[in-house]
Amino acid sequence: MNGHEGSERLTSATPRTDIGVADVLPMVRLCGVSKRFVQVLANDRISLSFMPGRIKALLGENGAGKSTLMAMLAGRFKPDAGHMEVAGQPVDFASPREAIAAGIGMVYQHFMLVENMTVAENVLLGQEGGIMLNPTAMRRRVAELAERFGLGIDARARVGDLSMGERQRVEILKLLHRESKILIFDEPTAVLTPVEAESLFAALRAMSAQGKSIVFISHKLEEVLSVADEIAILRRGRIEGEFLASEVESPAELARRMVGRDVVLEIEREAVAPGRLVLDVKHLSGGGLDDVSFDLRRGEILAIVGVAGNGQQQLVEVVCGLEKPRGGQVDILGQDWVNFFQSRAWKGALAWIPEDRAGLATCRGLNLTDNLLLTTRQGFAHGQWLERSRASETAQGLVREHNVQPGNIEAQAWQLSGGNLQKFVLARELYREPRLVVAEQPTQGLDVAATEAVWRRLLEVRKTAGLLLVTGDLAEALQLADRVAVMFRGRIMNQFPVSDAAQVERIGSLMAGLKD
Amino acid sequence: MSPELVIALLAAAVQAGTPILFATLGEIISEKAGVLNLGVEGVMALSAFAAFITCHLTGSAWLGLLAGGMAGTLLCGLHSLVCQVFLGNQVVSGLALTLFGVGLATFLGTPYVGQSTEGFAKIALPLLSDLPVLGPIFFRHDVLVYLCYASPVAVWFLLNRTSLGLGLRAAGEMPAAAAAAGLKPQRLRAFGVMAGGFLCGLGGAYLSLAHTHLWTTGLSGGRGWVAVALVIFAFWRPGRAVIGAFLFGSVMAFQLRLQATGTNVPSSLLLMLPYALTVIVLVFSAARARRSGAPAALGVNIEPED
Repeated sequence: MNGHEGSERLTSATPRTDIGVADVLPMVRLCGVSKRFVQVLANDRISLSFMPGRIKALLGENGAGKSTLMAMLAGRFKPDAGHMEVAGQPVDFASPREAIAAGIGMVYQHFMLVENMTVAENVLLGQEGGIMLNPTAMRRRVAELAERFGLGIDARARVGDLSMGERQRVEILKLLHRESKILIFDEPTAVLTPVEAESLFAALRAMSAQGKSIVFISHKLEEVLSVADEIAILRRGRIEGEFLASEVESPAELARRMVGRDVVLEIEREAVAPGRLVLDVKHLSGGGLDDVSFDLRRGEILAIVGVAGNGQQQLVEVVCGLEKPRGGQVDILGQDWVNFFQSRAWKGALAWIPEDRAGLATCRGLNLTDNLLLTTRQGFAHGQWLERSRASETAQGLVREHNVQPGNIEAQAWQLSGGNLQKFVLARELYREPRLVVAEQPTQGLDVAATEAVWRRLLEVRKTAGLLLVTGDLAEALQLADRVAVMFRGRIMNQFPVSDAAQVERIGSLMAGLKD
Repeated sequence: MSPELVIALLAAAVQAGTPILFATLGEIISEKAGVLNLGVEGVMALSAFAAFITCHLTGSAWLGLLAGGMAGTLLCGLHSLVCQVFLGNQVVSGLALTLFGVGLATFLGTPYVGQSTEGFAKIALPLLSDLPVLGPIFFRHDVLVYLCYASPVAVWFLLNRTSLGLGLRAAGEMPAAAAAAGLKPQRLRAFGVMAGGFLCGLGGAYLSLAHTHLWTTGLSGGRGWVAVALVIFAFWRPGRAVIGAFLFGSVMAFQLRLQATGTNVPSSLLLMLPYALTVIVLVFSAARARRSGAPAALGVNIEPED
């Protein structure tokens, strides 16, 4: 943390963009880079400098535009506007190969390793130099490289026998051997144990001490604060602010900025009188959850907010019947968990709108009628026979009623845009006339119009059901919910009505795990 | 059995094993690169004919051998085209290749059935052939058998000691990793299939130029299928392929001798022996092979990025 006297000091309250260090040329620089996909502006005029010898963290929720930014750096997409510079020279990558040649190296979450080959073979694949291979010399080269950067690994080991942490080191060694100048890590700790993560951080520091520029992409606050020199927050495709890690006043502020509260859309909501209890969770523990208790009544929306990966996923899996509760009690519609899921009725019970709408909620290669039948087939069954014509008519009706484009029920799921697919999933789940609805990130990646359509439906649902809304978008939670519960490390930090302004102010702190 | 008979039997086993070993090694290269080639039988049949007709017309056994190898390369090039460029199913394309190769060889060869060709003569290697027992078994054969002795080492060296071989294996294990390392997995696969085809072609050429010296229909006689099975038995290793090929050679030679002695066992049962052995060997190697060494991306085509 020295050598940036030249950069003016700013507090976190006045975010600056593009931290640089005077008199040092950035390794890579993004200058006002934008990228738009059909409906979504994934990256909006992003300017960042990646300095040699520094670790920069890119902090952002899923869908904030991190992957798009990475893909442009890696040469897989071209920016629509703006440009990139490597060592001061403008570059325009036509292919990933060119990005690699320019010294940009990526460590992806899914490793690109040949399991049946040794560490040395994997590292040197494609750059053995010469026609003949000399296994002893290869091993020595890789072992030397590993030692220089403090990445202890046996160069003779078969990659298939290694742990995830060791495989990650092999990926890093590949980049180091190519003399990549900037190393970009996409959520590198997602596959690691805490101990492995610690040794990764040590390696990152060792590499940055030797002049490499490190980019660390994550949504975990603690690890970003512990490893990064600089932190840039990405939200809805924009840089929300950039700080030196030393000047971050509170993790709460960081959390608040990452999740954001900027209102992109306002919607009118009328209160609905709460009805009978639809979901009652008492002291739910185990599988990453820690003494979670809450209840939900018909006519209510309870928003579960928090930084992703703090137990929301596990909670949803229990409530939706994928995982058995290990400790505590879960009652759904007045029945206990086991009984409810044994006699699960397709209609009038539970509906789930998963986060992964293209993978979990639908089958991409099936048409809309078949996708309708995925969760509603009991309603169209006649003994062993399916009434397909009635299913088609129903699908057609739903598509028309919910304005799903294109209006053709023969269209396959993959042909629909994210927003239309989400409208269809919502239409299907509401057709089941549920009394409990679980919606995960229902508007992630949707444009404003689709978001509004989804929100309206969710508010309507309250007339007949209770809605458990799991969202990383604070604005969405505050717009829709009656009550908010903040999760951190599998615990509910606090829950309160959205009308409680004092508590709402403290959401950021709660998400960062600070009680007071 | 007298010692002379045993020695003659083993020498015959070496000869019978040679074409199978060529084909097995060829298939190993192809599969190591990730492409399953079930067309070996057709490749051997057609290259046997190409070798025969070239030698028959030009009188040069070496030209015949080259023609056999080239026929194998071209036919497998077709397989590579179907699978690599048009992303056709490797199993279907391979089966089609077998039907095509065997059919074409039969069709083109019909006018020549029963005609003979010079082919390769036996050469006793100086000194080595005078060794007791080993000499008559291993060193009184034609030049193709000697070539065959060297080929497992060459294939092992190619796969394990050259950067081409490393790339080839990467293309068969995880093409995406090879591409990420800046290699061109499609080209590496095409090379593997065609180099393997050349070796299968040599195996076919051996049948007409050295084994029988004449053309008959059905010359390949299921040897291509045995080779495909032997690749699994060999766990994709050239060294084990040698054992497998000569084991089969022994059984083939043995059943021929047995028939010649006029035994009571029906000849169709004896003819079945090598293939029955194929089944048994496959069952055992399947039971034993946990980490058999099968390339991870074997049979999976490389989809172009969208």
